[in-house]
Amino acid sequence: MLKITNLHAGYGKVEVLHGITLEVPKGSVVTLIGSNGAGKTTTMRAISGMIAPTEGRITLGGEDITGRESHRIAKLGVAHSPEGRRVFATMTVNDNLLLGAFPRLTGSRPKGDVTADLARAMEYFPRLKERRLQLAGTLSGGEQQMLAMARAMMMNPDVVLLDEPSMGLAPILVEEVFRIIARLRKEGVTMMLVEQFAAAALNVADYGYVLENGRIAVHGPAEKLKNDPAVKAAYLGGH
Amino acid sequence: MQIFTQLLFSGIALGMIYAVIAFGYQLTFATSDTLNFGQGDALMLGALVGLTLVNLGVNYWLMIPLVCLFGAAQGAFVERIGVRPAIKIKSEFGWIMSTIALGIIFKNVAENVWGRDDLKFPSPLPESPMHFLGANVLPMEILVVVGAVLMMLAVEIFNRKSIYGKAVVATFNDRDAAKLMGINTGLVITFSYALSSTTAAFAGVLIAPLTLTGATMGAVLGLKAFAVAIIGGLTSGMGIIVGGIILGVAETTTGFYLSTGYKDVPGLVLLLIVLAVKPAGLFGKSAIKKV
Ligand SMILES: Nc1ncnc2c1ncn2[C@@H]1O[C@H](COP(=O)(O)OP(=O)(O)OP(=O)(O)O)[C@@H](O)[C@H]1O
Ligand SMILES: [Mg+2]
Repeated sequence: MLKITNLHAGYGKVEVLHGITLEVPKGSVVTLIGSNGAGKTTTMRAISGMIAPTEGRITLGGEDITGRESHRIAKLGVAHSPEGRRVFATMTVNDNLLLGAFPRLTGSRPKGDVTADLARAMEYFPRLKERRLQLAGTLSGGEQQMLAMARAMMMNPDVVLLDEPSMGLAPILVEEVFRIIARLRKEGVTMMLVEQFAAAALNVADYGYVLENGRIAVHGPAEKLKNDPAVKAAYLGGH
Repeated sequence: MQIFTQLLFSGIALGMIYAVIAFGYQLTFATSDTLNFGQGDALMLGALVGLTLVNLGVNYWLMIPLVCLFGAAQGAFVERIGVRPAIKIKSEFGWIMSTIALGIIFKNVAENVWGRDDLKFPSPLPESPMHFLGANVLPMEILVVVGAVLMMLAVEIFNRKSIYGKAVVATFNDRDAAKLMGINTGLVITFSYALSSTTAAFAGVLIAPLTLTGATMGAVLGLKAFAVAIIGGLTSGMGIIVGGIILGVAETTTGFYLSTGYKDVPGLVLLLIVLAVKPAGLFGKSAIKKV
């Protein structure tokens, strides 16, 4: 589905990614592991067009999307739930979710049943249902995190990029988020997941890539990475 | 008392015009953190184009939507030519110079096309005053108030109810996140400029029958409405209505009790006070964002 070849990208003159190659096959969950500053968020930003790659190629379902504007990439079916939530603070929970479906409501993606999907999102995240008329800016950090995730799903995307969906959540809600990811995976949602809880991420993922200083250091099936001594020592210790 | 009531009414009508222009400032500020300093000239062009249409025999009511279309095109032009390049190179203040420059160019064009003299705009409504609460009210003044309120309401309803309006509000909230939703935020910014000039052009044809129409009519109105936008807040709809009315009434009363020669003074003093007391308030939203 999503294929990245020799991706170089960065900010201004500073290159952060030095040639990344990875793949997210249709229907699978791929996780990107790495320490702080390794370039996980930057990779996702390059995929969704928030920054322009300086070299390399990104294709979505065979179509070259390298360097396209991010609103076009979104319309092609990439939903990016960005780091730091980024919900629309002065708008209600309901409106935030509707905006997730913007490409469907404006004819650039198949419309389907938006109302039913809204109900489904509320069923996944019951807290959002109770607060659907509340302004997103007044939600707790954890609730905003869920809203960002639910909003991304409202697009009915071909690929979802989740950047640290459990950031700032209480442990019980972290479990909840991973349960939801597992559920989405069962439904066949194609997903790229960045998580600070690497062990939990590898548990819900099919495949994993380890990013070190802007390069892929190791990659392999999630089962295998979980048991890789080097990965264990560097990223799974303590969890 | 009777006279004061009368001054109050004309002050309110004038204040609503300030409010509409200030509303235009808010529209572009919301989506792009920029303002069209040629807003007063957009108003002037709207009034003059409207006058030409009326002179060509177009009915006043039919002329209004045409002038609004013209305003939309003019605003989109300003955004594409003056503002977008500045936003693209992330120039913090380039748009200030370019919107002022475009405003001056529009004024020069207007002077060449319509001449330097003030023209009379025929009133679409009877010019004999009606009596209300013991004071005289021009039907045109009532039209100004009703029209201004309807215009602002229409935009509010669009923003709240339609998915495109929600996209505008989302762009105001977080431009990058809006793009991730598939919203073409560049287009939203162009649209907000178009809408902003539409409101100005509309205000132009509302006020024109009450004042004189000419190339210079916009500059002072734009400046004073700017003061209203800053005082009322660049994001508060109620603020600009209240601010506009206060200024409008202050001007009509000053004009009557002191001298009409001083009628522009309250607004400009207001502007000076704002700049002295609340310079940070000028770009309130960005200041908040940085926190
Ligand atoms: N907007 C930016 N401008 C300049 N440099 C940036 C910017 N965002 C990130 N960087 C730099 O790029 C590098 C990679 O950052 P990135 O956010 O991709 O890391 P990450 O793997 O997501 O880390 P974390 O786990 O902390 O989220 C870092 O060195 C960071 O300082
Ligand atoms: Mg990150």
